[in-house]
Amino acid sequence: MRAQKPENALSYRQPFGRHFRRYWQLYAMLILPVLYFVLFKYVPMFGNILAFRRYRPAMGPYGTEWVGLRYFQKFMADASFWNAFKNTLVLSLVNLIVNFPVPIIFAIMLNEVRALRFKKLVQTVSYMPRFISTVVVIAILSELLSPSGGLLNRFLQDHFGIAPTYFMNEPQYFRFLYVLTDTWQYTGWTAIIYLAAITGISNDLFEAATIDGATRFQQILYVTIPSILPTIMVMFILNVGRLLSLGFEKVLLMYTPSNSAVSDIIDTLVYRVGLANQNYSYATAIGLFSGVIGVFLVTSSNYFSRKVTGESIY
Amino acid sequence: MKRFSNRRHSGIGSVILDIAIYVVMVFTLLVCLVPFIYMLALSLSDAKAIVNGRVSFWPVGFNLGSYEQIVNYPNFFRAYGNTIFYTVAGTAISLTLTTLFAYPLSKSFLRGQKLFMKLVVFSMFFTGGLIPNYLLISNLGLTGSVWAMLIPFAINQFNLIILVNFFRALPGEIEEAALIDGLNYFGILVRIILPLSTAGLATVGLYTAVFFWNDWFNGLIYLNTSQFPVMLFLRNIVNGTSMVGDAAGFGDKSTIAISIKSAVIITSTLPIIILYPFLQKYFVKGLTVGSVKG
Repeated sequence: MRAQKPENALSYRQPFGRHFRRYWQLYAMLILPVLYFVLFKYVPMFGNILAFRRYRPAMGPYGTEWVGLRYFQKFMADASFWNAFKNTLVLSLVNLIVNFPVPIIFAIMLNEVRALRFKKLVQTVSYMPRFISTVVVIAILSELLSPSGGLLNRFLQDHFGIAPTYFMNEPQYFRFLYVLTDTWQYTGWTAIIYLAAITGISNDLFEAATIDGATRFQQILYVTIPSILPTIMVMFILNVGRLLSLGFEKVLLMYTPSNSAVSDIIDTLVYRVGLANQNYSYATAIGLFSGVIGVFLVTSSNYFSRKVTGESIY
Repeated sequence: MKRFSNRRHSGIGSVILDIAIYVVMVFTLLVCLVPFIYMLALSLSDAKAIVNGRVSFWPVGFNLGSYEQIVNYPNFFRAYGNTIFYTVAGTAISLTLTTLFAYPLSKSFLRGQKLFMKLVVFSMFFTGGLIPNYLLISNLGLTGSVWAMLIPFAINQFNLIILVNFFRALPGEIEEAALIDGLNYFGILVRIILPLSTAGLATVGLYTAVFFWNDWFNGLIYLNTSQFPVMLFLRNIVNGTSMVGDAAGFGDKSTIAISIKSAVIITSTLPIIILYPFLQKYFVKGLTVGSVKG
């Protein structure tokens, strides 16, 4: 929170009647958005009590009677839940290991480009994929990898004599393709944050390093990277906090029955159990469980970040 | 940039570094652009050339047949029109509600302002989840209605915080002068704040427009086929759920589907690709003013 200005502090001490008469229009503006916020953000939040109640069709969205932790016990004993849980963790971790360092390296390299117009061009083009629909990304991917005439299969066949492979359908390629499309979509965009941090480094440091005879590579190692380390730390902790929130829509688009052993994550399980099979209470319980873990991860990583780097997101 | 002028650029190490960097940068450019060039080439190629695997990055047997087919396919037109409607209406609703929320929230002297900000941030991390949201929409009777596409996403917390920060950064003196001149807060918002905030509104508006343009999942779970947005239409073609252009006597179906798929990909992404170079400065702006700190 921003520190309050003295005059605001004064007005805060005004009796509420006078304060309200003076600012009622500002409060009036809040009515519609606050009602909206309560209905569409907070009501679904409380809708999570369905995880503890039995749902019956046409008897309202909050179920009919309390069943305690029955649905939690049920999914804890369900092998497909643990499979989805494991898949979520593995996919998240692989994604973090690959796609956390890539934007940092890209930003540092981009910063070393001296032809300004070329730099601007690369930068602009590199974050364009961030705005392309996931549907389009996966559609393009499936055409590139198509076993009947896709570019990659043709290349492999012509130059290495490898028979066409249906990459999108083979479980062993799923994680690789998920991570790779994330790299393609988000590297340029995430690099903006690091690039901003690099631009903020005082030029004196580079000058001093040059006078001491540091090469450009040494300057990167001993000036650039240490200077952006706080940003890297904050981003890392944020990423750990978001560990379980994978791109659900992308996984759903890439999901096929034959790769389901690795592509079924918690979110797709909730979708399948809840919306396809209409086990609303059971699916809500699974969703709530992963939601609570998510909040725990965000809160603890934020706390950790504040302790270690003095930076936090809220 | 001046700041690099006094850095050491001589020596074999520096040259190697430059070569490595330029190789990576050219590679990045290619990787970002080649998929679209490939799609464009496929969509403009002759079906036979696609079957024989002769199309790479340049159309072979140039023709506009696949575009003619999708344009004459009523479902595509309808889906495209639906998407335009969702994008325009959704963005308008969203900007109105977000502005009405963000302006009072930018005034830290209002009672409860801090609490509201905390509740907003909390709702970013703990959400209702898929099923409670779905049940809310269906209990409100919005399933099968275009409102299901527009309303649940009218306020995005991240965009809201961008606008709050933007409004806070505006000079307060103008507002004080307007108050003395007898303008009320609604007048100030409409006549003074909004004209000063075009950059912030453009940023948030663009994020919102891109969201609505790209949205397909909400269409899948809430809407009827005739209301589907173009991205859901594309997803169904790719999935094989729906077939387009079953024009027989034109090579086999799967290859026709390839050029048609590519044509749908190109046409549905075109608005973003065309507008992007002109608007990209606004896209980046949100990232720099959108720190979550309230």
